Amino acid sequence: MAKPEEAPKADGAADAKKKGDLDVEPGLLAEEELSEEDQKLKDDLELMVTRVGDADAGVQKLAIESLGNEIRTATSSMTSVPKPLKFLRPHYETLRAALEGLAPGAPNREALADVVSVLAMTSSEEGSRETLKYKLQGAPEDVAKWGHEYIRHLAGEIGEEYEERRSADSPVDDLMSLVDQIVPYDMTHNAEPEAVDLLLEVERISLLEQHADDKNYARTCLYLLGCHSYLPEPDDATVLRTAFNIYSKVGKHSDALRMALKLGSRELAEQAFAATAGDTFHQKQLAYILGRHGLALNLEDGPAAVADDDLREQLTQIMSNTKLNEQYLSLARDLDVMEAKVPEDVYKMHLVEGRAPAGPAVDSARANLASTFVNAFVNAGFGQDKLVTATSEDEKVHWIFKNKDHGKMSATASLGTVLLWDVEGGLPQIDRFLYSTDNQVVAGALLAVGIVNCGVLDEVDPALALLSDYVSKDDPQTRIGAILGLGIAYAGREKEEVAELLLPLVMDTDLSMEVSSIAALALALVFQGTANGDAVEAILQALMLRGEADLTQPGGRLMCLALGLLFLHRQGAVDATLEVAKTLDEKVSRFLQVILDVCAYAGTGDVLKVQQLLATCGEHIEAEEGTAWKTLHQSVAVLGLGLLAMSEELGGQMSHRALEHLLQYGEPAVRRAVPLALALLNVSSPDMSVMDTLSRLSHDTDTDVAMNAVLALGFIGAGTNNARLAGILRNLSSYYYKEPTLLYLVRVAQGLVHMGKGLLTLNPYHSDHTLLNGTALAGILAVLLAGGLDMKATLAGKQHYLLYCLTPAMKPRMLMTVDESGQMLPCPVRVGQAVDTVAQAGRPKTITGFQTHTTPVLLSVGERAELGTEKYTSASSTLEGIVILRENPDYVEMHE
Amino acid sequence: MGQNQSAPGGGPPGGQEGKDKEKKKKYEPPPPPPRVGKKQRRRDGASSLGTKLPTITPTAKCKLRLLKLERVKDWLLMEEEFVQNQERLKPADERNEEERTKVDDLRGTPLSVGTLEEIIDENHAIVSSAVGPEYYVTIMSFVDKTQLEPGSTVLLHNKGNQVVGILSDEADPAVSVMKVEHAPTESYADVGGLEQQIQEIKEAVELPLTHPELYEDIGIKPPKGVILYGEPGTGKTLLAKAVANSTSATFLRVVGSELIQKYLGDGPKLVRELFRVADDQAPSIVFIDEIDAVGTKRYDAHSGGEREIQRTMLELLNQLDGFDAMTDVKVIMATNRIDSLDPALIRPGRIDRKIEFPLPDQKTKRRIFQIHTGRMTLADDVNIEEFVMAKDELSGADIKAMCTEAGLLALRERRMCVTQEDFKKAKEKVLFKKKEGVPEGLYM
Repeated sequence: MAKPEEAPKADGAADAKKKGDLDVEPGLLAEEELSEEDQKLKDDLELMVTRVGDADAGVQKLAIESLGNEIRTATSSMTSVPKPLKFLRPHYETLRAALEGLAPGAPNREALADVVSVLAMTSSEEGSRETLKYKLQGAPEDVAKWGHEYIRHLAGEIGEEYEERRSADSPVDDLMSLVDQIVPYDMTHNAEPEAVDLLLEVERISLLEQHADDKNYARTCLYLLGCHSYLPEPDDATVLRTAFNIYSKVGKHSDALRMALKLGSRELAEQAFAATAGDTFHQKQLAYILGRHGLALNLEDGPAAVADDDLREQLTQIMSNTKLNEQYLSLARDLDVMEAKVPEDVYKMHLVEGRAPAGPAVDSARANLASTFVNAFVNAGFGQDKLVTATSEDEKVHWIFKNKDHGKMSATASLGTVLLWDVEGGLPQIDRFLYSTDNQVVAGALLAVGIVNCGVLDEVDPALALLSDYVSKDDPQTRIGAILGLGIAYAGREKEEVAELLLPLVMDTDLSMEVSSIAALALALVFQGTANGDAVEAILQALMLRGEADLTQPGGRLMCLALGLLFLHRQGAVDATLEVAKTLDEKVSRFLQVILDVCAYAGTGDVLKVQQLLATCGEHIEAEEGTAWKTLHQSVAVLGLGLLAMSEELGGQMSHRALEHLLQYGEPAVRRAVPLALALLNVSSPDMSVMDTLSRLSHDTDTDVAMNAVLALGFIGAGTNNARLAGILRNLSSYYYKEPTLLYLVRVAQGLVHMGKGLLTLNPYHSDHTLLNGTALAGILAVLLAGGLDMKATLAGKQHYLLYCLTPAMKPRMLMTVDESGQMLPCPVRVGQAVDTVAQAGRPKTITGFQTHTTPVLLSVGERAELGTEKYTSASSTLEGIVILRENPDYVEMHE
Repeated sequence: MGQNQSAPGGGPPGGQEGKDKEKKKKYEPPPPPPRVGKKQRRRDGASSLGTKLPTITPTAKCKLRLLKLERVKDWLLMEEEFVQNQERLKPADERNEEERTKVDDLRGTPLSVGTLEEIIDENHAIVSSAVGPEYYVTIMSFVDKTQLEPGSTVLLHNKGNQVVGILSDEADPAVSVMKVEHAPTESYADVGGLEQQIQEIKEAVELPLTHPELYEDIGIKPPKGVILYGEPGTGKTLLAKAVANSTSATFLRVVGSELIQKYLGDGPKLVRELFRVADDQAPSIVFIDEIDAVGTKRYDAHSGGEREIQRTMLELLNQLDGFDAMTDVKVIMATNRIDSLDPALIRPGRIDRKIEFPLPDQKTKRRIFQIHTGRMTLADDVNIEEFVMAKDELSGADIKAMCTEAGLLALRERRMCVTQEDFKKAKEKVLFKKKEGVPEGLYM
């Protein structure tokens, strides 16, 4: 790849050379240089130029026409200027004078103006915009006949002119009439990006819709989507809106729906859904996408209503993910990973070299807790394992009771993860623990109920029915279980009943901070990104009323995070709350402000915010033992860097560079959060360089950095089964064999890496990295922020149950093809690394280094799939999750 | 194996763990595992994050590209601001200065140079110096162990022979000689005629480096290399010089015969090095003159030397279109015996364009005469046309020789200008030499 800065230099050199050529030619060897044809052409052109000045209109017309002809028919290499243009260069002024001499309305004026306009492309001075000036005087149509080079030039000048006129408030109608000609030309001649560019320049992007058709829509929309992340605020939404309209127009409803979801607009989503009415093939696909995104539309009435009862039921079922467990299990069966795994299968101690932690573990309670989590993550969703669901009689003591007090809660809750999404089959198995006499076990069971229902909607709302009673129990642990259970079960569902239950708990200052903060977190999970007024008010009130001691606890921070999550992606909507945050106690004020800011602008890539954050990180604050809160906001700022930049690749890569600087210069509070930011930027995508850096940090002398790095290693490999990462973690497990806390975290990370035996992902982005699942992000943030800031008190202390906040982010990373009735339909697909094909000519390959598999297959982050056969057509252009296929009517079997 | 020697307790504390724990209040984790011998190639850059700027797609000129480039610029500006602020708050130079002098003290002077033979453990290695025996020495802690690998050249302390530094091994010096540091003075303007050839070579070699987007727009892969062939003296090397003159890309030139080395395996190694350097310093142009020295057709070789030449060519084949795709390395080859080259060498994909350099036609001859006589003082009677119109097979080099010869003749007679007579004599002389002793027109 030629470095960009290299290009102009070389270019300049070549230009100079070219000019040198031109200079030499007329001087030293002017006459002999030209071949006979060239000489003739030159003489002809000169004759025409003189004729143009002729008084007789007929002669003039002929001369202008033949001039135009010469210019148009000239072909030449791309390395040089076409000959006629070269020869006419000295006569540009003559022609221009001739044109100025003609009275407006003279018969040949328009034609001549056109010719002059074309000549101006090479002959006029830079910035004078004469091409445009004379084109405006020329014939109003026929822009196309001068070729695309001319159109490009003209479009450039229109952009500049528009900018100038807009600041001067002059009318732009004449420019628009040109735009109206250029855009259709571009759109029909494979130059969609240029059409989009021009319309963006003149702020008329919506005009694009009428010119899009089924031939150029794909390239156009891809380009629009590519521009989206880099445009300033009002434009980005317009661009998406335009893409939505174009997709709707050409009948690509699944893509239209994706645009609607990206815009975060329920109305548009309903509109797209309604547009497919009567077409069950597509409608069901939309339902699958909605189910994956976690948005349930109202099918009973409203714009998306479905008249047919039977169909409505099917669609609701798809949208509420009721079948998700079944599909996941069939994927597992197909890939032959049904066999339950025990934590030891993951630790693979026999592979560890050197000092293996032989003999009894240093801290057996910790080790058991770690095994609980590993078991929960590894067997997530499989419905069976060898620890918690196993009901063998010979063992007297159930696994749960091998854990110490608060450990029992997580152990029981792990049952929920194992039975994930299986509402009907799972609840009975959990039920027996609800009647336990041990409060911790009950709490765990309640949490498990919530986890099982995560992401699955059921008509009877079992989670709400079971959990609502326990919310008001006296025992704080039971309460926490029920509250967090509710939060996880209804994450992102905006359920009013849950709010009614939780709001009083948040505001009640008599409750312990732990309970209140968990209530706030649960509330935030349910209402993430809605800026729900009641919830915001309740949390703010709690923050105001609580005393200093409460606020500096981990609970206080959790509450701040909860408030931030409510404003996820709301950008400007956060301003009022931000003002309130400034008035709060100084111990949380700064912290809360930064959290609100980064959450509200998450994924926008807003450079100004990044600048502020970097400035925050650059401060050197003197903090002592008791005043650690002073630097805490810096850690959030670091995490915020990742949060802001995670939506697009470019920002992601650039923020990695920034993080490297932070590691180099930052204070401990800053360095501590760097692994967390790296984890956030690379969830489930174990990139080599990131892995190396984290592996380096995991041996850091600052224990906090090391702990966060270990956790981050788990995040970047979550659900990938990455062998290299597993190796790194194994080495860490022997390296830290004497450090119970770190060893425990290494185990958790190992569990994450093997999550779902490699069938799950935590990445909040889906559909080709375009759509962000806010609930997933909220869950990840809860773990990273709450955990990372004070690991010893939370994840590695008593609040380890916070790890279950990851459940909303767990999604199968599969591509499963089904027929219209939902039955699996194996089909060959090519899976490979995604390639950026925006604005590339022709039909470039969208994937590289692909392999052909038969569905169902697993897709990693950054991978893309395409159908490997012509036999079927898919209902969705992006092959991810569950995709409906039907037979291609045009398919002809090829016989060899 | 080396651990039970003088190494001071690099291993685990072993049996006295229990006592240790009581004594020490806090358990200190052992030093992180070493990362020796994992030296990676520089451009992989896996060891640290984001050393390289992201590549920007699409390559075509469009608003999206502009926006992306602006975004990258914004980030870089912020980085700059951050680093500047930090440097102001906490100047790193002062901190480093002190440490550096300390390190220099430890290193001592003069340093001796040795070769790392084997790494025993993270602190010890076996080194050999050019003269003496091999030593078992310690590696100083400040040496970047990721860069150490067996075979690398290391700096040794003059007394204790400890490893105190690494001499970063640059490319084979033989290759660095090939790099053209000073651009030749010949430019395209000095090439008479050959417009077609100039255009082709520009399209194939220069444009892909300066304007890759043009090729992407049209959806083709730019050509990888060209071969220039034709009669001797028709301007092949001259054109390559003009390319070197006009481009800012790294220009490596090598003559085919240079690739033939004395020792077995050196030739192919040189080719590999050559292309590695080219790839490292991309964008670059590799010019191999007289390729027939190594690129002749393969046949049953009888001598080891011939086989070695063939192996060199095989390496060249692999580098041109082998497994690793080079994107920004363009190859120009020149030969006057294209018919003797191995067909595999000039197949499309390796060499996409074959540019023929014919003997000049009249027009071109006239142009070449003009170029060479341009700076000569000519008498009034000189009529170049006469030579231009003659039916002799004159190449560009012949014409140049003629002009020079004519000038020399004039000098001999101490004239200040060159006459037609001089040219006539010069022509005869030049053609006499060319036709190997048969004077022109003798038997006609």
